[in-house]
Amino acid sequence: MLRFIATRLVQLVVICFLISVFAFLLVHLLPGDPTLAILGPNDTPAARAVLLHQLGLNKGLLSQYGTWIINILHGNLGASFLTKQTVSNALGVAVPIDLELVIVSQVLALLVAIPMALVAALRPNRIFDRVATTSTFAMLSLPTFVAGPLLVLVFAVTLKWVPATGFNRLSQGFGPNLKSVILPSVALAIGSITVYYRLLRADLIATLQEDFVTMARSKGLSTRYILMRHVMRPSSFSLLAGAGISIGTLFTGAFVVEVLFQLPGIGFQLVNAIYGRDYLVVQGMALVAAVAFVVVNFGVDFLLTVLDPRVRRA
Amino acid sequence: MSEAAEPSGAFVSHGTVATGMLGPEGVVATLAPTGFLPKKGKGIGITFWICAGWVLFMILLALLASVLPLKAPNFQDYSSVNIGPSARHLLGTDDLGRDLLARVIFGSRVSLVIGFAPVLIGLVIGGMAGLLAGYRSGPADTVLNAVSFVLLAFPALLAIMVIETFWKPVTLLKLTIMFAFVSAPLLFRVIRATTLSFSSREFVVAARATGAKTSRLLLRELLPNVLPAAVSFALIGVAIAIVLEGSLAYLGLSIGLPTSSLGNIINDGVNSNNLSLNPYIALWPSLYIFLLLTALNLMADRLRSYFDLREVSL
Amino acid sequence: MSRFGRRPQLSFPDVGSIEGPLLEVDDLHTSFRTGRGLVRAVDGVSFTLSRGRTLGVVGESGSGKTVLSRSIMGLVPGTNVERSGTVRFSGHDITAMSLDELREVWGMQIALVFQDPMTALNPVVRIGRQITESLRLRAGLDRKAAYETSVALLRSVGIPAPEQRLRNYPHELSGGMRQRVMIAIALACGPKLLLADEPTTGLDVTVQAQILDLLATQQRDRHMGMILVTHDLGVVANRTDDIVVMYAGRVVEQAPTAELFAHTRMPYTEAMLRSIPRLAESSHTRLRAIPGRPPDLATELKGCRFAPRCPYAQDHCRKEEPPLRTAGQGHLFRCWYPVGSAEGDAALAYNVAARVPAALAFTGTPVRDAALLAPNPGASA
Repeated sequence: MLRFIATRLVQLVVICFLISVFAFLLVHLLPGDPTLAILGPNDTPAARAVLLHQLGLNKGLLSQYGTWIINILHGNLGASFLTKQTVSNALGVAVPIDLELVIVSQVLALLVAIPMALVAALRPNRIFDRVATTSTFAMLSLPTFVAGPLLVLVFAVTLKWVPATGFNRLSQGFGPNLKSVILPSVALAIGSITVYYRLLRADLIATLQEDFVTMARSKGLSTRYILMRHVMRPSSFSLLAGAGISIGTLFTGAFVVEVLFQLPGIGFQLVNAIYGRDYLVVQGMALVAAVAFVVVNFGVDFLLTVLDPRVRRA
Repeated sequence: MSEAAEPSGAFVSHGTVATGMLGPEGVVATLAPTGFLPKKGKGIGITFWICAGWVLFMILLALLASVLPLKAPNFQDYSSVNIGPSARHLLGTDDLGRDLLARVIFGSRVSLVIGFAPVLIGLVIGGMAGLLAGYRSGPADTVLNAVSFVLLAFPALLAIMVIETFWKPVTLLKLTIMFAFVSAPLLFRVIRATTLSFSSREFVVAARATGAKTSRLLLRELLPNVLPAAVSFALIGVAIAIVLEGSLAYLGLSIGLPTSSLGNIINDGVNSNNLSLNPYIALWPSLYIFLLLTALNLMADRLRSYFDLREVSL
Repeated sequence: MSRFGRRPQLSFPDVGSIEGPLLEVDDLHTSFRTGRGLVRAVDGVSFTLSRGRTLGVVGESGSGKTVLSRSIMGLVPGTNVERSGTVRFSGHDITAMSLDELREVWGMQIALVFQDPMTALNPVVRIGRQITESLRLRAGLDRKAAYETSVALLRSVGIPAPEQRLRNYPHELSGGMRQRVMIAIALACGPKLLLADEPTTGLDVTVQAQILDLLATQQRDRHMGMILVTHDLGVVANRTDDIVVMYAGRVVEQAPTAELFAHTRMPYTEAMLRSIPRLAESSHTRLRAIPGRPPDLATELKGCRFAPRCPYAQDHCRKEEPPLRTAGQGHLFRCWYPVGSAEGDAALAYNVAARVPAALAFTGTPVRDAALLAPNPGASA
């Protein structure tokens, strides 16, 4: 068991290291001089030399990478050229937004998917099951960049229930905050609903055929009790797996949603940094995003392997 | 429902996979097939063929676009701006007076190429590598495995965005290459896993015992068995690519104008002016993408139900 | 009492006051509609059982005995099941009951001990809760009373340190202990009828004896009716009052235990008896297994279902299925050429002379006959 944890940790560290190298190389090895981009019209050889020295770009790649990593480990992710704000500050603004989006969207998705899956699993292949599976299939074919604008069109433009863009912090009140977050969360939840539904339904159907369910019935226990106290428990691991898979959806979707709804999360800031050729920010944020992503994935997988009594460990 | 947790696999747990980079379409890859097949198991079902026909029809339209009696997609007719569907413009016009039907069909060329080309490349490269690696484990296999693991761990959208920042201008070719880098590891892993599961089966051992050459073995015995899984995941890969391109376009990071992909058109159509004035601009390409994705997902699902490919994990 | 809605009120008379048989099964049929046709798993079973008596139901895999035990309770789920016949329990017709009414009966009046405790116990729920949930939800005990009752229950089934065991998960207990837990769970609400489905399969022989003794003790103390379902004649030999032998969904012989063993009539029963290895024989004695396999229940079966494997079978058997006939003393059997009768002996001799493979195997004559290895007609392919 300990060996398993150790192996996983080692893998994780290796991946993070590789990601940092990758992020670094991406920015530094590509054609196109960042100084040109940054200086713009003020581009003179002298200015460029100064900038190069400032950015440390005239040193060797390895030493640049070393400096960067050491800075990171000291908590210094660099600063933006455009806004003069440190990346850490920017992250401080962005992360809570992303967290809120993730939490709200997943809660929404679960609220829809769990009851649907329960009903479908109790009567598989009948009307409800077919309708539900088909509609979740359709949801899968609605990319975020289609669903998002659609939602905006209906709820923000036509019905005017919620604002189309902008983020209201929690400090400004629960109501406004919810209003600005609900539409993007729904857009993100759409992709996750299918995942949770399909996984949970399959797991429930399998669990319902187990002997211990028949035994519970033979004790005269009610269907509701059996579902809630006997069946959901082993099947809930599917939800955890679904969460892991949803991370992938959320990641791509979040970029689109943040840009569409103008929410200053990591995606939004990253996109702006890319537009503005703010390469240090791009590097730092990309690193953070990728590492967070990998860590969460590993974490979910690790939890699944460890917690689920049905998964055999190699 | 218990599967052994494979320590070296990319987040394999519970028979499902949480590979991070997969966008909303990728989740179809990880979910068990719906199992909806026609009763009596007669063939793969009419749904499959309808979808296949539809996809072929779309491809055909795109291929023959120049020959068809379509208006010029970039011709701006200021006298007919923002007209809804009418006799002269079957799908209406956009805010610059361009015929939407033509724009959609010509735009679909780009989207379809972006969808299919990288996946074909990935299928060939990743597929061959996967076959070899799955059949004959060795140092090469371990290396490739590790490389694909890392490539898959890094969120694709992020990588592509960052690359694009500095590798301007974005062309179809560059996008194709980048997408190929995304799809190849995926297909490599799928085909490797499938090949592995078949290699130990008796008919392979038998063939080898009769002295069959490796190439013959690969081609005649393994390939036909691996093909259904490969094709199914390839279809999903196409869906992923199309969504990825659309997301990029939404962020303004897809192919530069005047080449319009469907994503670009949607991007045009969802800025706040157009969305309320002329929702058709965004509607038609969105509908097209929706139908295309549904067809692809359904095909992949039916394929997997028919060949019972439940256990393919990455 | 119950937190989840009101339950229908049925009255079940108390311990000593019952008159008449506890359980009457009358021509019970249970069939499954499958893709291959209608599988008649239980094809006309009738018997009665009184309180304090034990019935053994014996048959090989696929004989329908497990489906029988579930069908008696009405526990067979679903949509593709056809059930006919009547089951009367304590005066009530439980075949006509609604699901809600049945739930009243399950656990409290009739309990089922499942075959494999590893799959029948929820692996992620502690033992304690699996016992107390019936006590709290069905018998209406509060938490303290339920706890104390479950401790007492575990003690009464012979589990040491019951307080600790209550907190264990199923996989933390040994096979024998799990089976005892299953029995405890079944007995928790004091049922009047206990259906034990292969309660000893998979256990060591010594543990088997303990479990069977335990069941016998509990039955005596609680004055329950008990049905022991098993494939092992040895299990039912000394522990049952009556035995029903099933084959391919049909009852083929039914008698009080002593009578069954003393005057076996059905060749199938006889073959089963002979197949039990005896201690007195040397260790290299060849086992006298019954060759072949039971028939495919989805197909239309003609004639006696055991005919393809029967050493006594004649053409008459293959054409027409024998009805259940009585041999006196409550002994029913289904055979044209029963064991120990003149026709039977003649039939066997005839078959041996004709080198029928089943007969040769039965008499122990070595058979170098390829026909013996071929699949039996009527058996599933």
